[in-house]
This record gives sequence, C-alpha cells and structure tokens, in this order.
Amino acid sequence: MRNRLKVLRAERNWSQADLAERLDVSRQSVNAIETGKYDPSLPLAFKIARVFGRSIEEIFTDAQAQAAE
Amino acid sequence: MVCEPTSSESQKQAKRRYFRDIAIASVLYVGFVFAGAAAVRYLDPPQWALILLALAPLAPALMMLRAYLVYLNAMDEFQRRLQTDALLVAAAVVTFGSFAYGFLEEWADLPHISLLWVFPAFCFIFGVAHVVIRWRYK
Repeated sequence: MRNRLKVLRAERNWSQADLAERLDVSRQSVNAIETGKYDPSLPLAFKIARVFGRSIEEIFTDAQAQAAE
Repeated sequence: MVCEPTSSESQKQAKRRYFRDIAIASVLYVGFVFAGAAAVRYLDPPQWALILLALAPLAPALMMLRAYLVYLNAMDEFQRRLQTDALLVAAAVVTFGSFAYGFLEEWADLPHISLLWVFPAFCFIFGVAHVVIRWRYK
C-alpha cells in the first residue's frame, strides 16, 4: 500500500514526532507506515485521515490495483 | 533521523509503570531465590515447605508477566506487532529447541539441562528477536 504521508506531513511542516504525537503512536510507527513497511489498521488509517482532514483514499492507494490498471 | 522512537505521554507513562513493576518483581524474585536456596541448604525443611519454597519465585515471575501484558496493551498497534512477532520467534525456537534437545538427551546421551533454563532462554531469544525484527522495519 502506497501513501502520501510524507508529502502531507511536509506541507504542514510536521516532523515524524509531531505526527506521532497527534496520532498517539510512536515515531517509529509513523516511520514504518510512511516508508510502506507497515500497513496501518483501518481505525488508525481513519485517524490519520482525520488528522490531515482528508479521506483515506486521498492518503492511501492500493499499489496492486494501480499496477493492474 | 532520530533512532529512538518518540512516544506520546500515555506511552511514556506506561513504560515508566512497566519498568517500576519489573523492578519490584525482580527484587522480590532475587529475594525469594536467595531465601529459598538458603533455607534448602541450611534448614532442612519438610517436603511441603520445599514445594512452597520452590514455587515461591513463580509469584514475582507472574508479576513480571502481568506487567508485560499491561505494557503490551498500552502499546500502539505497530509496536504490538513487533512484540508479537518476537514472541512467536521465541516460542518457536524454545519449544522446538527443547523438543529436539529432549530427544538428544534421551537417545544421544547429551548432558542434561535443567528446565529452569527454559524461561531465561525464552527471554533472551525474545530480546534478540525483537532487536532484529525492529531493525528490519527501519
């Protein structure tokens, strides 16, 4: 699963630690999600979407579906 | 890039509580082990007392387990994933390792190893597995 976390974070000038604080997770968790090494659960994906004021689809994209298109 | 994870305040509190509980349980564990060993060596207690003394260190060990489970529940989902992956590795290595060594003891006359070493071995392998698994996500 691909995501735009890094871009959205940069737009707001937030560090990984800032985002982690807002999501109530560790900075390492933010890093793992951002680099695509860990896919968040649906509740955490919704939380991320809420923090950025976007829909989940605007942040996360299904890499396999994109490749199939 | 910072190497150590930055936790939220609730996670920091959970970590502090975990280390406090583990410290208390460790002190009790050492106390029970030394007191039990001394009693067995110098007092020649009856069988029922020997059983009680032998099982006494289990109480602080269970306190450690409880502290760990409370801490595990306070972690975020990614940290919990790292922990459960490491637990799985440790469980697999220790169970299959002890299973294999049991046959080696019985059939190949390898030296006997006390069951006392199962728990420390589990903790050690869990620790190593956790470091390796965490490193893979960096």
